[in-house]
Amino acid sequence: MKRNLLMNRLEHLPTLRIQPRQTLTIRYNGKNLRGYAGDTVASLLYGCGERIFSRSLKYRRPRGLYSLDGECSNAMMSVDGWPNTNAETTPARHGMVVTPQNVVGSLEWDPMGWMDHLAFVMPAGFYYKLFHKPARLWPLAIKGIRQAAGLGKLQPEATFDCRCDAIYPNTDVCVVGGGPAGMSAALAAAENGLRVVLLEARPHLGGFCDYRVRAEKGGMPLYQWVGALADEVRATENIRVLTHAPVVGVYPDQRITAFQRGSAADVFDLRYIEIAATSVVVATGCIERPLLFASNDRPGIMQIGCAHRLLHTYGIRPAANAVFSVAHDLGLEAAIDMHDQGVTVHCVADAREDGQDPQMLSALAQRGIPHWRGWVAQVAHGRRQLRGVTLSNLTGTFKKRIGCELLVASAGLTPLTGLVTLAGGALAFDHHTGFFLPQRLPPAVQVCGRIRGLHDPSSLSADGTLAGLRAAADCGLNLNREIARAEAAGAAAPGAVRGSKLAMAPGKGGKAFLCFDEDGTVKHVQQAMAQGFDVPELIKRFTSIGTGPGQGGMPGHNLPLVVAHSQASPDSDPQPTTIRPPLVATPIAAYAGGKHDMAKRTPMHAEQLTAGGRMERVGEWYRARRFGADPGAQDEIIGVRTNVGLLDASTLGKFRIFGPDAVKALQRVYVGDMTRTVPFRTKYAAMCNEDGCVIDDGVVIQTGENDYYITTSTGRAGQTVEWFRYHTRYDSWDYHMVNLTDAFGVINIAGPNARQVLAAVTDADISNEAFAFSTCRDLLLRGDVPVRAMRLGFVGELSYELHVPASYMAAVWQMVETAGQSLGIVHFGLEAQSTLRMEKGHVILGSESEQRTTLHDIGLGFLWCRTKPEAKTVGGAALRHTADQPGRLKLVGFKMEDPRSRAPRDGSPIVDARIRGYVCTARFSHALQEPVGMALVDDDLVRPNTRLGIYEDGCNGTLRHAMVVPMPFYDPKGLRMRM
Amino acid sequence: MALSLTCPICGLRNGYEFRFGGADKGPRPLEEGLTPAQWCAYAHLNTCVAGVQLEWWNHKDGCGTWFVARRDTRSNREVPKEDVQ
Repeated sequence: MKRNLLMNRLEHLPTLRIQPRQTLTIRYNGKNLRGYAGDTVASLLYGCGERIFSRSLKYRRPRGLYSLDGECSNAMMSVDGWPNTNAETTPARHGMVVTPQNVVGSLEWDPMGWMDHLAFVMPAGFYYKLFHKPARLWPLAIKGIRQAAGLGKLQPEATFDCRCDAIYPNTDVCVVGGGPAGMSAALAAAENGLRVVLLEARPHLGGFCDYRVRAEKGGMPLYQWVGALADEVRATENIRVLTHAPVVGVYPDQRITAFQRGSAADVFDLRYIEIAATSVVVATGCIERPLLFASNDRPGIMQIGCAHRLLHTYGIRPAANAVFSVAHDLGLEAAIDMHDQGVTVHCVADAREDGQDPQMLSALAQRGIPHWRGWVAQVAHGRRQLRGVTLSNLTGTFKKRIGCELLVASAGLTPLTGLVTLAGGALAFDHHTGFFLPQRLPPAVQVCGRIRGLHDPSSLSADGTLAGLRAAADCGLNLNREIARAEAAGAAAPGAVRGSKLAMAPGKGGKAFLCFDEDGTVKHVQQAMAQGFDVPELIKRFTSIGTGPGQGGMPGHNLPLVVAHSQASPDSDPQPTTIRPPLVATPIAAYAGGKHDMAKRTPMHAEQLTAGGRMERVGEWYRARRFGADPGAQDEIIGVRTNVGLLDASTLGKFRIFGPDAVKALQRVYVGDMTRTVPFRTKYAAMCNEDGCVIDDGVVIQTGENDYYITTSTGRAGQTVEWFRYHTRYDSWDYHMVNLTDAFGVINIAGPNARQVLAAVTDADISNEAFAFSTCRDLLLRGDVPVRAMRLGFVGELSYELHVPASYMAAVWQMVETAGQSLGIVHFGLEAQSTLRMEKGHVILGSESEQRTTLHDIGLGFLWCRTKPEAKTVGGAALRHTADQPGRLKLVGFKMEDPRSRAPRDGSPIVDARIRGYVCTARFSHALQEPVGMALVDDDLVRPNTRLGIYEDGCNGTLRHAMVVPMPFYDPKGLRMRM
Repeated sequence: MALSLTCPICGLRNGYEFRFGGADKGPRPLEEGLTPAQWCAYAHLNTCVAGVQLEWWNHKDGCGTWFVARRDTRSNREVPKEDVQ
């Protein structure tokens, strides 16, 4: 009955941020609940009559809506499988599935609720002390504690469908906070032609003025005034507004990180933002300080802003009747608004004796709302939800109990100074405002607005303008005159307002919570202090107050006040605790950013797909693994060995290096002697790192005077230019490199019939005499397609590697395919290529080598020229030192003892009494009709006919045996590739 | 993450765009007569200065230049040339 009443929102308020015509439904705890576009999950639940939102961490006490900005863990729920999602800051979306967490039974009846009565065995720091003696109790206790402790549960099998993104904007001025001061600062900086980024944690601009209709600025109600400001900000082209983007941290050089929640209309759900700014304006404003009294956490107790925004922003009457216990004019204003919207306000207890806005007092009096000066809430009543409250005067001499559904409780305001601290500013306690005010600011950081204790709208706007101008000056503009004028305007506006003191009604018993997240009470602080902890920093650790997901936002100010209040020395000022990023709880997914698959496709991707290619991600490329169902690609292998095959090798790194000093650079980087290249002869060459370990191999072709064409392995293509430049960085050599990897495609035609295929597409003389093995020629195909053809022998057959401009690639592919059709040309992929080259004993770096494998280890030591020390070759010194070094793993070929058995699995260890090496690659060889493989083994096992024991996964100790044999396995004299 | 570097070609840029190339240890030693210990010292040993260090950086996501930057290892910030003693 009550629920139906509450379903009705106040639809005609001018301050509404929901669209009453656009309904949506979410699934909560098995029920379908209706809300409106613009609702957060929390406002939707509250609007549907939900009052208990969670159970607390330690005592399992029921908790309800308290703030609306995610400052505590009260509203943490599991949303679409994401645990610990704060319902207050999560926009409601149609079809969302929301479940409460940290609860065993239901939120109303949690069997773990008895934990609340066990509080006496859980004093501050109990887990440091209890269960440790006797020691054998600890493992048992830790099990129970771990089961009960913690917030939320992650389902290991859950997958999250989240669109994540990341942006890295650069800007002149970054303004944090989209309230009146922040917007004024943004406008002031933007008017001077600077680029501005404005960050606002809430989904809309306006800050604490957005929902206020009573107070005025220049004859306009505040919501209209900030609405006009927001319109102006949005209409300014050089201001980029990022809403729903709380700031996470500030780092040196004015680097600011934030994360943004996207709406359904955005292209992201979560976005990591990293801003590089020249100057930062901090206009984060204030949050409310919780009022401390017994059971101040009962559902039904909320802060002023929470109640006020529920009413004005979301159109929800928070309750039928209410009591206020406040210490700020904002509370009086909320009480008046609440009354005007039909909520019975029994009374407003005001912790202040004086200093109230007389207009508010007369408005209260007009409505017949009692206003009690010097009174505060002492005890909240009700077991699961609030039923009433006992108010008392500050001395505790008078008490009065009032029944109510809602208690709006707030001890005053606290500035959000986290950013200032993180930026390196110092804070000092100010007795007038009761705030920790920014005292010393780092360069290029400005603060303005309520964070400085200001409250009056005209002061906020003047202060914001001044900060915006100062930020513009940080960017190098000369604005002395404007700044002086703004300073005068700021001085003329009302100054910082007097803040409220710590107000606690005297009383014993009950739990007055300082920190909802960690269930930390005033008593815990007193217990910690009784044990000798005297600074907030230590008490924070001992009691864990302020270490929860709220990141110390709420208790951050009350803790130092309570400590100072309880301290023996009466003249000590409160000390703030240290702030660290993240300032708000941030999903890790936000840091991970987008999952943009940056794969590359060769120019023949489509053609290979048509030919039945099974594409596979290899590094950054998509490549055809095989063309058919057979995982061993037998037909492809036989096709290449007996007929002719076609391979897309476009992923090879391809470079042109030229200039007078090009050969010096080659000498530096390649281990071979590059001065002895012959024009248009391919030279196989390798690169090592400083340790003499092979990192790359490829061919080098001299194509002109001081002009070379080189290829690298696929994986190294990206780093090659950087590598050359790094190793010649001290030399100022005159040479240039062009990365042609993507500019050229590569087709490999391989097999005994390869010449017939190539002859069909070119008029050039390609006989073995005219175009011999390991030479290179520039040919024209069909008379006009320029290709660079090389005769290489990677797969061990007669083969031509055609390097073709990428735009011609598809045409050349079709040409070759057509020319080979009558011969029955096959496509072959990586799998076939890997077996074919292995039969030849050719290594693929990374398969047959690892990080510590030197050139000598894989039998390529002959590539190293030891007579060029003057070139200071990279790896040269190490190659010299390791040439005969014992105890290294060496590459050997092997065959199985039983030729009919299958090939061992790649990576299987080779063992005798201990591990002696491992199988790199092993495949069934169709040419030899038995399995062959390559392995890296200890150097005493390299002699032919050495018996190797191979230990495969799941072999239960039964080794398989192989014999070391000389390589290559196939065509040892290399006659076939010279045909 | 907070590092920003000044590329001689592109100007002040986000540190993410650069690759670290080690401290500036001077040109490569002559290979002739280099003992393993000397080679190892050049290739692998670093002084790890707590203070301003000259370092090689590569603007990998920009112009591709290798350049020497002055970085204060204690604050992880670039130090302008004139501040180096």
